[in-house]
Amino acid sequence: MSLAASHSPAAESHAARAFAVALSIVIGFSAISIQLVRLALQGQFAEPRVAMTQTLTTAVWRPDIVDRNGRLLATDIEAPTLYADPAMIIDVDEVVERLVEVFPEFNTAELRRSLSDRNRRYVRLKRGISPATAQRIHNFGLPGIAFRNEPKRVYPNGALAGHVLGHVNIDNQGTSGLERYIDEVVGIEAFQAGTPGSLKPVRTSLDIAVQHALEHELRTAVRTYSAKGAAGIILDANTGEVLAASSLPQVDPADRMQGLDPDRLDKLADGVYELGSIFKTITIAMAIEAGTADLDKVYDVRVPLRVGRYIIRDLYPLGRPLTVRDIFVHSSNVGAGMLALELGSERQRAYLDRFGLTKAIRTEAGPLAAPKLPRHWGKAETITISYGHGMALAPMQFAATAAALVNGGLWVAPTVIQPSSPDTAKGARIVSAETSAAIRELMRLNVDSPHGTGRRAAVPGYEVGGKTGTAELPGRGGYREKAVIASFLAAFPMSDPKYVVLVMLHEPKPTEETNGRITAGVNAAPVAGSIIARTAPLLGVMPQRHADARAHQ
Amino acid sequence: MLRLSSAIAAAVAVASAFLLYAVSYETRHMISTVQSQERQIERLRSDIAVLKAELAFLSRPERIEPVARSYGFVPASGIQYTDLHSVEPGPGAVDPGSRTEPGQRSSR
Repeated sequence: MSLAASHSPAAESHAARAFAVALSIVIGFSAISIQLVRLALQGQFAEPRVAMTQTLTTAVWRPDIVDRNGRLLATDIEAPTLYADPAMIIDVDEVVERLVEVFPEFNTAELRRSLSDRNRRYVRLKRGISPATAQRIHNFGLPGIAFRNEPKRVYPNGALAGHVLGHVNIDNQGTSGLERYIDEVVGIEAFQAGTPGSLKPVRTSLDIAVQHALEHELRTAVRTYSAKGAAGIILDANTGEVLAASSLPQVDPADRMQGLDPDRLDKLADGVYELGSIFKTITIAMAIEAGTADLDKVYDVRVPLRVGRYIIRDLYPLGRPLTVRDIFVHSSNVGAGMLALELGSERQRAYLDRFGLTKAIRTEAGPLAAPKLPRHWGKAETITISYGHGMALAPMQFAATAAALVNGGLWVAPTVIQPSSPDTAKGARIVSAETSAAIRELMRLNVDSPHGTGRRAAVPGYEVGGKTGTAELPGRGGYREKAVIASFLAAFPMSDPKYVVLVMLHEPKPTEETNGRITAGVNAAPVAGSIIARTAPLLGVMPQRHADARAHQ
Repeated sequence: MLRLSSAIAAAVAVASAFLLYAVSYETRHMISTVQSQERQIERLRSDIAVLKAELAFLSRPERIEPVARSYGFVPASGIQYTDLHSVEPGPGAVDPGSRTEPGQRSSR
């Protein structure tokens, strides 16, 4: 083979080969460069998303609950949850021994079994432990034992407003009261490690200062009258906002077992009671609204009412015919019965319907216990209902109706959330403005007059009006005379009522000051008075000072 | 010719590799800074939540009331309120009429 001869075809094939090699090198380098750029731009910088993808917890962040002035009622903090990773545990016996040392309540056998299962990577041991305990366990230096933070609900005010706030479960989800409302309506945020909630606080209608004052006065009353329990509510007469609501004994929202204790039942919303004579306010409102009576109409109450084998008589008969004013002020059962009979069962029932007292209502903190109505609505029931027996209802529901009776006649729905605009609250008209004015006059008279059963509720300057009620508690085979619920329905200032106050004392005992009596005029009325005296300045109600001051000079 | 272009390509490849390394290093550094700051924010948020709860706990009326009473304070009562017009002007008091004038002027 000569060079010249080999030149043309061989050189061509050489060039082609070189070109092929160069091309493949270029392609190779390009591929590497592209990969390099790709990796540099995204790949390796993203956080490794392996670790734990399964949901370890169902815990949630909840919005804070604040009172009407923005003061904190409930909030979430992070608290350590102790967990174990059995695959990482070296010495199960040592771990079990150490943990039981710190938490004696742990079941040793069960703990050993779950920690020995090396297929599990996450065994939750205890939630919401204190930082000090967490540090103590951390100091043991046990492999496979670790902590993660989870939200925990705290209530800085302790048991304050516990019934309204409700409870959350171990997963921080609301199970009762306002907490449940938050889950169902307001919205919660799924928990992700290390992202504290950014939820807007829920603003309640409560006022911490007023709530505290109410609870303090009720506790004092329970001590003074050795009562088994007490309840009180302060309601805005025009919007239905609950400024304070308390039922003793209280529940601590942080202790979820207390919510199940029947003794700690919310007497305002979850219990129904025969309310006694405060119900006469309703009966008289009906009669005036229906036009069957006016304030000056006279009824002969000297003859006891007879229905079948029952005889209805007055506790302190005056021995003379009474006007409607007197019936209210002297709290005459016979008088109320006569007013109701004049009205008739049908109309009584229709008015109770219209006043919103026959159907269950609800607030954001949950449904109120449904009213208990008589199965048979005869003459006897008509009479007993007229003075608050034979029909039981939740006191909060009664307070809402009472608010409507004094505010000019417009129904208000009780609410524990501050309404977004003040005008939306008022509902349908249930009585005329004139009837409402008459009720206001009666309530004021009952406190202002020296013979009124409510005179001990008077607070200088605040024009308090009200009605007493002493309801005997039902017992075996009838009513127990010595066991009563003493209640007082009040509103102030009576010329233009801003707030309605309802106070109940359960089974108050006679004291020296009450001369051995247990009727509401000597216990519930003065308690209502002291509640109003203490809360009215907090509520921003200006006292009518001049007239009183001049009168006292 | 081919050798020159190969040399240039190699130089560009090396240069881009260095550049990419520098950029990626810087990015990584920034990411770790951001992450540590995010962790710090989370810690601070958590601390704020605890402090908020503690503040509310310390200012709860149940605790404040006995403290206030021990210093002789009592709950406000209606007696402490009075109407401005019912206050008798003391000696040397400024005539209320003249005092309202500047306010009236500014409101106009």
